[in-house]
Amino acid sequence: MDIEALLLSLKLALWTLVLILPFGVWVAHSLQSMGKCRSWLEASLALPLVLPPTVLGYYLLVGLGGKTILGIPLVFSFTGILIASLIVNLPFAIQPIQRAFEAINPEILEAAQVSGLSQWQIFRLIELPLAWRGITSAAVLTFAHTLGEFGVILMVGGAIPGETKTVSISIYDKVQSFDTSGAGVLSLILLGTSLIAIALSYGIFGGNPDNTKKWRS
Amino acid sequence: MLKAKLFQANPNPLQLNIECVSGELHALVGPSGSGKTTALRTIAGLNHAETGKIECDGQLWFEANEVNGVATSLKPAERSCGFLFQQYALFPHLRALENVCIPLYNNFKSLSERRSLAQQWLVRMGIGELAQRLPNQLSGGQQQRVALARALARSPKILLLDEPFSAIDAPTRQGLYKTLAELRKDLNIPILLVTHDLREADLLADRITVIDQGVGLQTAPPQVLFDRPRNSRVAELVGISNKFEGIFSAGKLSWNGNQRIFDVADKGKIPPNTPVAWVIPADGLSLHNEASANTLNASVEQISTLGQIAVIQLRTVEGNHAITWEASAAEVKRLSLEVGKNTYLEIDGSKIHIMPLRPINDPRRFTN
Repeated sequence: MDIEALLLSLKLALWTLVLILPFGVWVAHSLQSMGKCRSWLEASLALPLVLPPTVLGYYLLVGLGGKTILGIPLVFSFTGILIASLIVNLPFAIQPIQRAFEAINPEILEAAQVSGLSQWQIFRLIELPLAWRGITSAAVLTFAHTLGEFGVILMVGGAIPGETKTVSISIYDKVQSFDTSGAGVLSLILLGTSLIAIALSYGIFGGNPDNTKKWRS
Repeated sequence: MLKAKLFQANPNPLQLNIECVSGELHALVGPSGSGKTTALRTIAGLNHAETGKIECDGQLWFEANEVNGVATSLKPAERSCGFLFQQYALFPHLRALENVCIPLYNNFKSLSERRSLAQQWLVRMGIGELAQRLPNQLSGGQQQRVALARALARSPKILLLDEPFSAIDAPTRQGLYKTLAELRKDLNIPILLVTHDLREADLLADRITVIDQGVGLQTAPPQVLFDRPRNSRVAELVGISNKFEGIFSAGKLSWNGNQRIFDVADKGKIPPNTPVAWVIPADGLSLHNEASANTLNASVEQISTLGQIAVIQLRTVEGNHAITWEASAAEVKRLSLEVGKNTYLEIDGSKIHIMPLRPINDPRRFTN
Protein backbone atom coordinates (compact mmCIF):
# COMPACT_ATOMS: atom_id res chain seq x y z
CA MET A 1 0.00 0.00 0.00
CA ASP A 2 1.27 3.45 -0.91
CA ILE A 3 1.32 5.03 2.57
CA GLU A 4 3.38 7.94 1.27
CA ALA A 5 0.66 8.91 -1.22
CA LEU A 6 -2.00 8.52 1.42
CA LEU A 7 -0.17 10.79 3.86
CA LEU A 8 0.48 13.34 1.11
CA SER A 9 -3.23 13.41 0.23
CA LEU A 10 -4.11 13.91 3.90
CA LYS A 11 -1.52 16.70 4.19
CA LEU A 12 -2.91 18.37 1.05
CA ALA A 13 -6.50 18.05 2.27
CA LEU A 14 -5.68 19.47 5.71
CA TRP A 15 -3.67 22.42 4.34
CA THR A 16 -6.44 23.16 1.82
CA LEU A 17 -8.97 23.09 4.65
CA VAL A 18 -6.94 25.33 6.95
CA LEU A 19 -6.40 27.94 4.23
CA ILE A 20 -9.72 27.86 2.42
CA LEU A 21 -12.18 27.85 5.34
CA PRO A 22 -11.39 31.32 6.77
CA PHE A 23 -11.27 32.67 3.21
CA GLY A 24 -14.57 30.92 2.39
CA VAL A 25 -16.27 32.39 5.47
CA TRP A 26 -14.97 35.88 4.61
CA VAL A 27 -16.04 35.70 0.94
CA ALA A 28 -19.44 34.13 1.72
CA HIS A 29 -20.14 36.82 4.33
CA SER A 30 -18.93 39.65 2.08
CA LEU A 31 -21.12 38.45 -0.79
CA GLN A 32 -24.21 39.19 1.37
CA SER A 33 -23.64 42.92 1.22
CA MET A 34 -22.42 43.16 -2.38
CA GLY A 35 -24.47 45.02 -4.94
CA LYS A 36 -24.30 44.79 -8.70
CA CYS A 37 -21.06 42.81 -9.01
CA ARG A 38 -22.33 40.01 -6.76
CA SER A 39 -23.67 37.83 -9.60
CA TRP A 40 -20.44 38.16 -11.57
CA LEU A 41 -18.34 37.23 -8.56
CA GLU A 42 -20.58 34.28 -7.69
CA ALA A 43 -20.35 33.02 -11.26
CA SER A 44 -16.54 33.32 -11.25
CA LEU A 45 -16.29 31.45 -7.96
CA ALA A 46 -18.51 28.66 -9.31
CA LEU A 47 -16.44 28.32 -12.50
CA PRO A 48 -14.25 25.42 -11.22
CA LEU A 49 -17.46 23.35 -10.93
CA VAL A 50 -18.08 23.38 -14.68
CA LEU A 51 -14.59 23.89 -16.09
CA PRO A 52 -12.88 20.66 -17.32
CA PRO A 53 -10.01 19.87 -14.88
CA THR A 54 -7.60 19.72 -17.81
CA VAL A 55 -8.48 23.26 -18.87
CA LEU A 56 -8.03 24.58 -15.34
CA GLY A 57 -4.84 22.49 -15.04
CA TYR A 58 -3.49 23.91 -18.29
CA TYR A 59 -3.96 27.52 -17.20
CA LEU A 60 -2.42 26.82 -13.80
CA LEU A 61 0.48 25.09 -15.51
CA VAL A 62 1.04 28.16 -17.65
CA GLY A 63 0.43 30.58 -14.77
CA LEU A 64 2.59 28.84 -12.20
CA GLY A 65 5.23 27.58 -14.60
CA GLY A 66 7.30 30.70 -15.09
CA LYS A 67 8.72 33.01 -12.46
CA THR A 68 5.93 33.53 -9.92
CA ILE A 69 5.53 36.06 -7.11
CA LEU A 70 7.60 33.75 -4.92
CA GLY A 71 10.45 33.95 -7.45
CA ILE A 72 10.39 30.25 -8.31
CA PRO A 73 8.24 28.08 -10.56
CA LEU A 74 5.50 26.38 -8.54
CA VAL A 75 4.56 23.58 -10.92
CA PHE A 76 5.52 20.04 -9.97
CA SER A 77 5.75 21.03 -6.28
CA PHE A 78 3.52 20.61 -3.23
CA THR A 79 2.90 24.38 -3.14
CA GLY A 80 1.73 24.19 -6.75
CA ILE A 81 -0.79 21.44 -6.12
CA LEU A 82 -1.94 23.22 -2.95
CA ILE A 83 -2.69 26.37 -4.98
CA ALA A 84 -4.49 24.23 -7.57
CA SER A 85 -6.45 22.50 -4.83
CA LEU A 86 -7.48 25.82 -3.28
CA ILE A 87 -8.80 27.11 -6.61
CA VAL A 88 -10.63 23.88 -7.47
CA ASN A 89 -12.29 23.80 -4.04
CA LEU A 90 -13.54 27.40 -3.99
CA PRO A 91 -17.17 26.55 -4.87
CA PHE A 92 -17.24 23.62 -2.41
CA ALA A 93 -16.03 25.85 0.40
CA ILE A 94 -17.98 29.01 -0.35
CA GLN A 95 -21.42 27.89 -1.48
CA PRO A 96 -22.54 25.95 1.64
CA ILE A 97 -21.35 28.78 3.90
CA GLN A 98 -23.04 31.38 1.71
CA ARG A 99 -26.35 29.45 1.83
CA ALA A 100 -26.01 29.19 5.63
CA PHE A 101 -25.54 32.97 6.00
CA GLU A 102 -28.45 33.62 3.65
CA ALA A 103 -30.69 31.37 5.74
CA ILE A 104 -30.34 33.59 8.81
CA ASN A 105 -33.52 35.59 9.37
CA PRO A 106 -32.61 39.29 8.82
CA GLU A 107 -34.80 40.22 11.78
CA ILE A 108 -32.46 38.27 14.08
CA LEU A 109 -29.56 40.39 12.87
CA GLU A 110 -31.62 43.54 13.41
CA ALA A 111 -32.42 42.34 16.93
CA ALA A 112 -28.67 42.02 17.50
CA GLN A 113 -28.13 45.56 16.21
CA VAL A 114 -30.72 47.09 18.51
CA SER A 115 -29.26 45.03 21.36
CA GLY A 116 -26.15 47.18 21.04
CA LEU A 117 -23.75 44.72 19.37
CA SER A 118 -21.12 45.94 16.92
CA GLN A 119 -20.87 44.37 13.44
CA TRP A 120 -17.92 42.22 14.56
CA GLN A 121 -19.80 41.07 17.68
CA ILE A 122 -22.86 40.23 15.59
CA PHE A 123 -20.65 38.16 13.27
CA ARG A 124 -18.90 36.36 16.13
CA LEU A 125 -21.81 35.83 18.52
CA ILE A 126 -24.77 35.42 16.17
CA GLU A 127 -23.90 34.78 12.52
CA LEU A 128 -20.97 32.40 12.90
CA PRO A 129 -22.75 30.03 15.34
CA LEU A 130 -25.89 30.09 13.19
CA ALA A 131 -23.87 29.34 10.04
CA TRP A 132 -21.91 26.60 11.81
CA ARG A 133 -23.61 23.73 10.00
CA GLY A 134 -22.86 25.32 6.62
CA ILE A 135 -19.22 25.73 7.62
CA THR A 136 -19.02 22.08 8.72
CA SER A 137 -20.61 21.01 5.47
CA ALA A 138 -18.10 23.10 3.51
CA ALA A 139 -15.22 21.55 5.48
CA VAL A 140 -16.41 17.99 4.84
CA LEU A 141 -17.00 18.60 1.13
CA THR A 142 -13.63 20.31 0.68
CA PHE A 143 -11.77 17.59 2.57
CA ALA A 144 -13.40 14.71 0.69
CA HIS A 145 -13.09 16.45 -2.66
CA THR A 146 -9.38 17.21 -2.15
CA LEU A 147 -8.64 13.58 -1.29
CA GLY A 148 -10.21 12.49 -4.57
CA GLU A 149 -8.96 15.31 -6.84
CA PHE A 150 -7.15 13.92 -9.88
CA GLY A 151 -7.10 15.88 -13.15
CA VAL A 152 -5.84 19.28 -12.02
CA ILE A 153 -3.31 17.74 -9.60
CA LEU A 154 -1.90 15.55 -12.37
CA MET A 155 -1.63 18.48 -14.77
CA VAL A 156 0.03 20.83 -12.26
CA GLY A 157 2.02 18.39 -10.14
CA GLY A 158 2.67 15.30 -12.21
CA ALA A 159 3.39 12.25 -10.07
CA ILE A 160 6.51 12.93 -7.99
CA PRO A 161 6.49 10.52 -5.03
CA GLY A 162 6.31 12.33 -1.68
CA GLU A 163 5.85 15.71 -3.41
CA THR A 164 2.85 15.58 -5.74
CA LYS A 165 1.82 11.94 -6.04
CA THR A 166 -1.50 11.83 -4.18
CA VAL A 167 -3.71 8.77 -3.56
CA SER A 168 -5.79 9.33 -6.70
CA ILE A 169 -2.69 9.55 -8.87
CA SER A 170 -1.21 6.52 -7.14
CA ILE A 171 -4.40 4.53 -7.92
CA TYR A 172 -4.10 5.59 -11.57
CA ASP A 173 -0.42 4.57 -11.66
CA LYS A 174 -1.20 1.19 -10.11
CA VAL A 175 -3.96 0.49 -12.62
CA GLN A 176 -1.61 1.47 -15.44
CA SER A 177 0.96 -1.01 -14.13
CA PHE A 178 -1.72 -3.75 -13.65
CA ASP A 179 -1.37 -3.65 -9.82
CA THR A 180 -5.14 -4.05 -9.37
CA SER A 181 -4.94 -5.28 -5.78
CA GLY A 182 -2.88 -2.22 -4.74
CA ALA A 183 -5.32 0.07 -6.59
CA GLY A 184 -8.21 -1.77 -4.92
CA VAL A 185 -6.86 -1.20 -1.39
CA LEU A 186 -6.30 2.52 -1.98
CA SER A 187 -9.71 2.87 -3.66
CA LEU A 188 -11.31 1.17 -0.67
CA ILE A 189 -9.55 3.56 1.69
CA LEU A 190 -10.77 6.57 -0.33
CA LEU A 191 -14.29 5.12 -0.45
CA GLY A 192 -14.26 4.58 3.33
CA THR A 193 -12.91 8.07 4.03
CA SER A 194 -15.55 9.66 1.79
CA LEU A 195 -18.31 7.63 3.44
CA ILE A 196 -17.14 8.65 6.92
CA ALA A 197 -16.95 12.29 5.85
CA ILE A 198 -20.47 12.26 4.41
CA ALA A 199 -21.85 10.34 7.42
CA LEU A 200 -20.23 12.87 9.73
CA SER A 201 -21.79 15.67 7.75
CA TYR A 202 -25.26 14.08 7.84
CA GLY A 203 -24.88 13.25 11.54
CA ILE A 204 -24.37 16.93 12.28
CA PHE A 205 -27.29 17.92 10.06
CA GLY A 206 -29.60 15.45 11.73
CA GLY A 207 -28.58 16.32 15.30
CA ASN A 208 -30.86 18.09 17.77
CA PRO A 209 -30.25 21.76 18.61
CA ASP A 210 -28.63 20.79 21.91
CA ASN A 211 -25.74 19.43 19.87
CA THR A 212 -24.96 22.87 18.48
CA LYS A 213 -21.73 24.38 19.62
CA LYS A 214 -21.91 26.12 22.96
CA TRP A 215 -21.30 29.85 22.68
CA ARG A 216 -20.73 32.12 25.60
CA SER A 217 -22.90 35.19 25.41
CA MET B 1 -39.13 62.14 26.00
CA LEU B 2 -39.17 61.17 22.33
CA LYS B 3 -39.64 63.72 19.57
CA ALA B 4 -39.69 62.35 16.05
CA LYS B 5 -40.42 64.24 12.88
CA LEU B 6 -40.07 61.97 9.87
CA PHE B 7 -40.48 62.50 6.17
CA GLN B 8 -39.76 60.33 3.19
CA ALA B 9 -41.26 59.97 -0.26
CA ASN B 10 -39.88 56.56 -1.29
CA PRO B 11 -40.14 53.59 -1.17
CA ASN B 12 -42.96 53.93 1.38
CA PRO B 13 -44.21 57.47 1.97
CA LEU B 14 -43.91 58.73 5.53
CA GLN B 15 -45.00 62.03 6.98
CA LEU B 16 -45.21 61.81 10.71
CA ASN B 17 -44.76 63.89 13.80
CA ILE B 18 -44.69 61.97 17.08
CA GLU B 19 -44.09 63.16 20.61
CA CYS B 20 -44.12 60.69 23.46
CA VAL B 21 -43.32 61.72 27.02
CA SER B 22 -41.67 59.49 29.62
CA GLY B 23 -44.13 57.05 31.11
CA GLU B 24 -46.57 57.48 28.23
CA LEU B 25 -47.74 54.57 26.12
CA HIS B 26 -48.38 55.93 22.65
CA ALA B 27 -50.02 53.68 20.07
CA LEU B 28 -49.54 53.98 16.31
CA VAL B 29 -52.67 52.58 14.70
CA GLY B 30 -53.49 52.08 11.06
CA PRO B 31 -54.34 49.48 8.43
CA SER B 32 -51.75 47.06 7.04
CA GLY B 33 -49.15 48.84 4.94
CA SER B 34 -49.95 52.23 6.46
CA GLY B 35 -46.34 52.81 7.56
CA LYS B 36 -46.61 52.11 11.30
CA THR B 37 -43.77 49.62 11.38
CA THR B 38 -41.67 51.77 9.04
CA ALA B 39 -42.02 54.64 11.51
CA LEU B 40 -40.94 52.42 14.41
CA ARG B 41 -37.98 51.00 12.48
CA THR B 42 -36.94 54.52 11.47
CA ILE B 43 -36.87 55.60 15.11
CA ALA B 44 -34.76 52.53 15.96
CA GLY B 45 -32.34 53.31 13.10
CA LEU B 46 -33.17 50.19 11.11
CA ASN B 47 -34.66 52.38 8.34
CA HIS B 48 -33.73 55.92 7.37
CA ALA B 49 -36.05 58.81 6.64
CA GLU B 50 -35.10 61.27 3.88
CA THR B 51 -35.48 64.27 6.14
CA GLY B 52 -36.50 64.84 9.72
CA LYS B 53 -35.25 64.80 13.27
CA ILE B 54 -35.33 62.22 16.05
CA GLU B 55 -34.49 63.23 19.59
CA CYS B 56 -34.75 61.00 22.63
CA ASP B 57 -34.06 62.00 26.21
CA GLY B 58 -32.28 65.13 24.97
CA GLN B 59 -29.93 63.20 22.68
CA LEU B 60 -30.03 63.75 18.93
CA TRP B 61 -30.34 60.40 17.14
CA PHE B 62 -31.06 61.55 13.60
CA GLU B 63 -31.18 64.80 11.69
CA ALA B 64 -31.40 65.36 7.96
CA ASN B 65 -32.73 68.12 5.76
CA GLU B 66 -33.09 68.72 2.04
CA VAL B 67 -30.17 71.16 1.84
CA ASN B 68 -27.41 69.44 3.82
CA GLY B 69 -28.58 65.83 3.68
CA VAL B 70 -27.95 63.62 6.71
CA ALA B 71 -26.20 65.61 9.44
CA THR B 72 -26.54 63.07 12.25
CA SER B 73 -27.52 59.43 12.16
CA LEU B 74 -26.64 57.17 15.08
CA LYS B 75 -26.40 53.45 14.40
CA PRO B 76 -29.14 51.26 15.90
CA ALA B 77 -26.63 49.98 18.47
CA GLU B 78 -25.99 53.55 19.66
CA ARG B 79 -29.65 54.56 20.05
CA SER B 80 -30.43 52.84 23.34
CA CYS B 81 -33.85 51.59 22.39
CA GLY B 82 -35.53 48.34 23.33
CA PHE B 83 -37.24 46.84 20.30
CA LEU B 84 -39.80 44.06 20.55
CA PHE B 85 -40.27 42.35 17.19
CA GLN B 86 -43.57 40.92 15.99
CA GLN B 87 -42.07 37.44 15.54
CA TYR B 88 -39.86 37.77 18.67
CA ALA B 89 -36.55 37.45 16.70
CA LEU B 90 -34.88 35.51 19.51
CA PHE B 91 -31.40 34.15 18.79
CA PRO B 92 -32.28 30.51 18.07
CA HIS B 93 -28.92 29.04 19.13
CA LEU B 94 -28.93 30.73 22.54
CA ARG B 95 -30.86 29.75 25.64
CA ALA B 96 -33.39 32.18 27.15
CA LEU B 97 -30.84 33.43 29.68
CA GLU B 98 -28.16 33.91 27.02
CA ASN B 99 -30.61 35.79 24.81
CA VAL B 100 -31.13 38.30 27.62
CA CYS B 101 -27.36 38.44 28.23
CA ILE B 102 -26.70 39.71 24.69
CA PRO B 103 -27.75 43.38 25.25
CA LEU B 104 -25.60 43.41 28.40
CA TYR B 105 -22.52 42.23 26.51
CA ASN B 106 -20.90 45.66 26.17
CA ASN B 107 -22.13 47.10 29.47
CA PHE B 108 -20.95 44.36 31.82
CA LYS B 109 -17.63 42.66 31.18
CA SER B 110 -18.16 39.95 33.78
CA LEU B 111 -20.13 36.95 32.53
CA SER B 112 -21.49 36.16 36.00
CA GLU B 113 -22.76 39.73 36.36
CA ARG B 114 -24.48 39.50 32.96
CA ARG B 115 -26.05 36.18 33.84
CA SER B 116 -27.25 37.38 37.22
CA LEU B 117 -28.88 40.50 35.73
CA ALA B 118 -30.44 38.51 32.87
CA GLN B 119 -31.85 36.02 35.39
CA GLN B 120 -33.40 38.89 37.35
CA TRP B 121 -35.14 40.11 34.21
CA LEU B 122 -36.47 36.64 33.42
CA VAL B 123 -37.80 36.34 36.99
CA ARG B 124 -39.44 39.73 36.61
CA MET B 125 -41.16 38.47 33.45
CA GLY B 126 -42.36 35.41 35.37
CA ILE B 127 -40.23 32.90 33.44
CA GLY B 128 -37.20 32.53 35.71
CA GLU B 129 -37.48 28.74 35.63
CA LEU B 130 -37.22 28.68 31.81
CA ALA B 131 -33.76 30.29 31.69
CA GLN B 132 -32.04 27.21 30.27
CA ARG B 133 -34.53 26.56 27.47
CA LEU B 134 -33.81 27.23 23.83
CA PRO B 135 -36.35 29.43 21.98
CA ASN B 136 -37.82 26.44 20.12
CA GLN B 137 -38.61 24.84 23.49
CA LEU B 138 -40.77 27.82 24.54
CA SER B 139 -44.38 28.70 23.71
CA GLY B 140 -45.20 31.91 21.81
CA GLY B 141 -46.09 33.78 24.99
CA GLN B 142 -42.92 32.61 26.75
CA GLN B 143 -40.81 33.62 23.76
CA GLN B 144 -42.43 37.05 23.81
CA ARG B 145 -41.56 37.43 27.50
CA VAL B 146 -37.94 36.49 26.80
CA ALA B 147 -37.93 39.03 23.94
CA LEU B 148 -39.37 41.68 26.27
CA ALA B 149 -36.72 40.90 28.91
CA ARG B 150 -34.05 41.20 26.20
CA ALA B 151 -35.49 44.53 25.00
CA LEU B 152 -35.43 45.96 28.52
CA ALA B 153 -32.21 44.41 29.84
CA ARG B 154 -29.90 47.29 29.00
CA SER B 155 -32.25 49.92 30.45
CA PRO B 156 -33.21 51.56 27.15
CA LYS B 157 -34.34 55.15 26.86
CA ILE B 158 -37.38 54.11 24.84
CA LEU B 159 -39.33 50.90 24.29
CA LEU B 160 -40.61 50.17 20.78
CA LEU B 161 -43.23 47.43 20.44
CA ASP B 162 -44.01 46.20 16.91
CA GLU B 163 -47.37 44.40 16.95
CA PRO B 164 -46.16 42.42 19.97
CA PHE B 165 -49.43 40.63 20.69
CA SER B 166 -50.58 39.71 17.19
CA ALA B 167 -49.09 36.20 17.11
CA ILE B 168 -50.29 35.22 20.58
CA ASP B 169 -53.53 33.54 21.66
CA ALA B 170 -56.10 35.59 23.58
CA PRO B 171 -55.52 34.26 27.16
CA THR B 172 -51.73 34.69 26.86
CA ARG B 173 -52.30 38.16 25.46
CA GLN B 174 -54.25 39.16 28.57
CA GLY B 175 -51.29 38.08 30.71
CA LEU B 176 -48.89 40.12 28.62
CA TYR B 177 -51.15 43.19 28.81
CA LYS B 178 -50.93 42.90 32.59
CA THR B 179 -47.14 42.55 32.50
CA LEU B 180 -46.85 45.58 30.24
CA ALA B 181 -49.13 47.63 32.48
CA GLU B 182 -46.98 46.74 35.52
CA LEU B 183 -43.76 47.52 33.67
CA ARG B 184 -45.03 50.92 32.62
CA LYS B 185 -45.31 52.03 36.22
CA ASP B 186 -41.69 51.13 36.96
CA LEU B 187 -39.92 52.03 33.72
CA ASN B 188 -40.91 55.65 33.23
CA ILE B 189 -39.68 55.76 29.61
CA PRO B 190 -41.65 56.54 26.44
CA ILE B 191 -43.28 53.43 25.00
CA LEU B 192 -44.40 53.30 21.36
CA LEU B 193 -46.78 50.51 20.44
CA VAL B 194 -47.60 49.62 16.85
CA THR B 195 -50.87 47.77 16.43
CA HIS B 196 -53.70 47.39 13.97
CA ASP B 197 -56.03 46.38 16.80
CA LEU B 198 -57.97 49.43 17.95
CA ARG B 199 -59.37 47.70 21.01
CA GLU B 200 -55.83 46.89 22.11
CA ALA B 201 -54.75 50.50 21.57
CA ASP B 202 -57.84 51.74 23.42
CA LEU B 203 -57.09 49.40 26.32
CA LEU B 204 -53.37 50.15 26.68
CA ALA B 205 -52.53 53.54 25.22
CA ASP B 206 -52.63 57.02 26.72
CA ARG B 207 -52.67 58.53 23.26
CA ILE B 208 -53.18 57.12 19.77
CA THR B 209 -51.80 58.37 16.46
CA VAL B 210 -53.85 57.20 13.49
CA ILE B 211 -51.68 56.59 10.42
CA ASP B 212 -52.85 56.12 6.87
CA GLN B 213 -50.55 55.80 3.83
CA GLY B 214 -47.65 56.95 5.97
CA VAL B 215 -49.35 60.14 7.09
CA GLY B 216 -50.23 60.81 10.72
CA LEU B 217 -53.88 61.87 10.56
CA GLN B 218 -54.68 62.55 14.20
CA THR B 219 -53.09 62.17 17.63
CA ALA B 220 -55.42 62.12 20.59
CA PRO B 221 -56.42 60.16 23.70
CA PRO B 222 -58.55 57.14 22.70
CA GLN B 223 -61.87 58.57 23.87
CA VAL B 224 -61.33 61.84 22.02
CA LEU B 225 -60.41 59.92 18.90
CA PHE B 226 -63.59 57.86 19.02
CA ASP B 227 -65.84 60.80 19.90
CA ARG B 228 -64.27 63.53 17.77
CA PRO B 229 -62.32 62.10 14.82
CA ARG B 230 -60.57 64.86 12.91
CA ASN B 231 -61.87 63.82 9.52
CA SER B 232 -63.89 61.29 7.66
CA ARG B 233 -60.92 58.96 7.04
CA VAL B 234 -60.03 58.86 10.73
CA ALA B 235 -63.63 58.01 11.55
CA GLU B 236 -63.46 55.22 9.00
CA LEU B 237 -60.16 53.90 10.34
CA VAL B 238 -61.28 53.90 13.97
CA GLY B 239 -64.33 51.95 12.90
CA ILE B 240 -67.09 54.47 13.68
CA SER B 241 -70.15 52.89 12.14
CA ASN B 242 -72.63 55.78 12.31
CA LYS B 243 -70.95 58.14 9.86
CA PHE B 244 -73.00 60.25 7.47
CA GLU B 245 -72.68 63.22 5.17
CA GLY B 246 -74.58 66.49 5.27
CA ILE B 247 -74.36 70.21 4.55
CA PHE B 248 -73.17 72.55 7.29
CA SER B 249 -74.00 76.22 7.42
CA ALA B 250 -73.75 78.61 10.38
CA GLY B 251 -74.27 76.11 13.20
CA LYS B 252 -76.91 74.11 11.34
CA LEU B 253 -76.37 70.67 9.89
CA SER B 254 -78.79 69.63 7.15
CA TRP B 255 -79.29 65.95 6.54
CA ASN B 256 -81.29 64.20 3.85
CA GLY B 257 -81.62 67.36 1.81
CA ASN B 258 -83.27 69.70 4.26
CA GLN B 259 -85.51 67.12 5.89
CA ARG B 260 -83.50 67.08 9.12
CA ILE B 261 -81.67 70.02 10.61
CA PHE B 262 -79.57 69.72 13.75
CA ASP B 263 -78.04 72.48 15.83
CA VAL B 264 -74.35 71.67 15.98
CA ALA B 265 -71.50 73.50 17.75
CA ASP B 266 -68.35 74.25 15.70
CA LYS B 267 -65.29 76.48 15.94
CA GLY B 268 -66.49 78.85 13.22
CA LYS B 269 -63.87 77.67 10.73
CA ILE B 270 -66.19 75.99 8.28
CA PRO B 271 -67.46 78.15 5.38
CA PRO B 272 -71.26 78.28 4.78
CA ASN B 273 -72.92 75.52 2.75
CA THR B 274 -70.01 73.14 3.15
CA PRO B 275 -70.47 69.40 2.60
CA VAL B 276 -69.21 67.68 5.75
CA ALA B 277 -69.05 64.23 7.31
CA TRP B 278 -70.61 63.77 10.72
CA VAL B 279 -70.63 61.06 13.36
CA ILE B 280 -72.77 60.33 16.34
CA PRO B 281 -71.55 58.27 19.31
CA ALA B 282 -73.69 55.48 20.78
CA ASP B 283 -74.87 57.63 23.69
CA GLY B 284 -76.25 60.20 21.25
CA LEU B 285 -78.86 57.74 19.95
CA SER B 286 -82.04 56.53 21.62
CA LEU B 287 -85.05 54.48 20.47
CA HIS B 288 -88.69 55.05 21.34
CA ASN B 289 -91.94 53.25 20.75
CA GLU B 290 -93.79 56.46 20.00
CA ALA B 291 -93.08 59.20 17.50
CA SER B 292 -92.26 62.77 18.50
CA ALA B 293 -91.09 65.93 16.73
CA ASN B 294 -87.40 64.92 16.88
CA THR B 295 -87.67 61.26 15.96
CA LEU B 296 -86.98 59.45 12.71
CA ASN B 297 -88.95 56.53 11.44
CA ALA B 298 -86.71 53.42 11.25
CA SER B 299 -87.14 49.69 10.89
CA VAL B 300 -85.16 46.98 12.66
CA GLU B 301 -83.10 44.96 10.16
CA GLN B 302 -81.03 42.75 12.42
CA ILE B 303 -80.52 42.06 16.13
CA SER B 304 -77.28 40.39 17.26
CA THR B 305 -77.15 39.49 20.93
CA LEU B 306 -73.75 38.99 22.54
CA GLY B 307 -74.36 38.07 26.19
CA GLN B 308 -75.94 41.11 27.84
CA ILE B 309 -75.17 43.40 24.89
CA ALA B 310 -77.25 43.62 21.74
CA VAL B 311 -76.23 45.25 18.47
CA ILE B 312 -79.23 46.45 16.48
CA GLN B 313 -79.06 47.37 12.81
CA LEU B 314 -81.65 49.96 11.81
CA ARG B 315 -82.67 51.38 8.45
CA THR B 316 -84.21 54.86 8.33
CA VAL B 317 -87.27 55.34 6.16
CA GLU B 318 -86.11 58.88 5.42
CA GLY B 319 -82.91 58.67 3.31
CA ASN B 320 -82.53 54.88 3.66
CA HIS B 321 -79.50 55.17 6.01
CA ALA B 322 -78.07 52.21 7.94
CA ILE B 323 -77.58 52.96 11.65
CA THR B 324 -76.03 50.74 14.31
CA TRP B 325 -77.29 51.01 17.86
CA GLU B 326 -75.93 49.19 20.88
CA ALA B 327 -78.12 48.50 23.89
CA SER B 328 -78.49 46.12 26.79
CA ALA B 329 -80.57 42.98 26.32
CA ALA B 330 -82.99 44.41 28.92
CA GLU B 331 -83.50 47.55 26.80
CA VAL B 332 -84.25 45.43 23.74
CA LYS B 333 -86.84 43.56 25.76
CA ARG B 334 -88.37 46.77 27.14
CA LEU B 335 -88.80 48.16 23.63
CA SER B 336 -90.04 44.77 22.36
CA LEU B 337 -87.64 45.05 19.43
CA GLU B 338 -87.73 42.39 16.76
CA VAL B 339 -86.61 42.17 13.15
CA GLY B 340 -89.00 44.06 10.83
CA LYS B 341 -90.54 46.17 13.57
CA ASN B 342 -90.91 49.93 13.03
CA THR B 343 -89.39 52.11 15.71
CA TYR B 344 -88.55 55.75 16.34
CA LEU B 345 -84.97 56.92 16.50
CA GLU B 346 -83.90 60.11 18.23
CA ILE B 347 -80.54 61.75 17.46
CA ASP B 348 -79.14 64.13 20.06
CA GLY B 349 -77.77 67.05 18.03
CA SER B 350 -75.48 68.17 20.84
CA LYS B 351 -73.54 64.88 20.54
CA ILE B 352 -72.96 65.25 16.80
CA HIS B 353 -69.38 65.76 15.69
CA ILE B 354 -68.80 67.25 12.25
CA MET B 355 -65.57 67.05 10.27
CA PRO B 356 -64.13 67.73 6.84
CA LEU B 357 -64.63 65.15 4.14
CA ARG B 358 -60.90 65.14 3.39
CA PRO B 359 -57.79 65.05 5.60
CA ILE B 360 -56.92 68.23 7.46
CA ASN B 361 -53.82 68.96 5.36
CA ASP B 362 -55.75 68.73 2.12
CA PRO B 363 -56.64 72.26 0.86
CA ARG B 364 -59.81 70.87 -0.73
CA ARG B 365 -61.05 69.48 2.57
CA PHE B 366 -64.15 71.68 2.76
CA THR B 367 -65.12 71.30 -0.88
CA ASN B 368 -66.70 68.32 -2.48
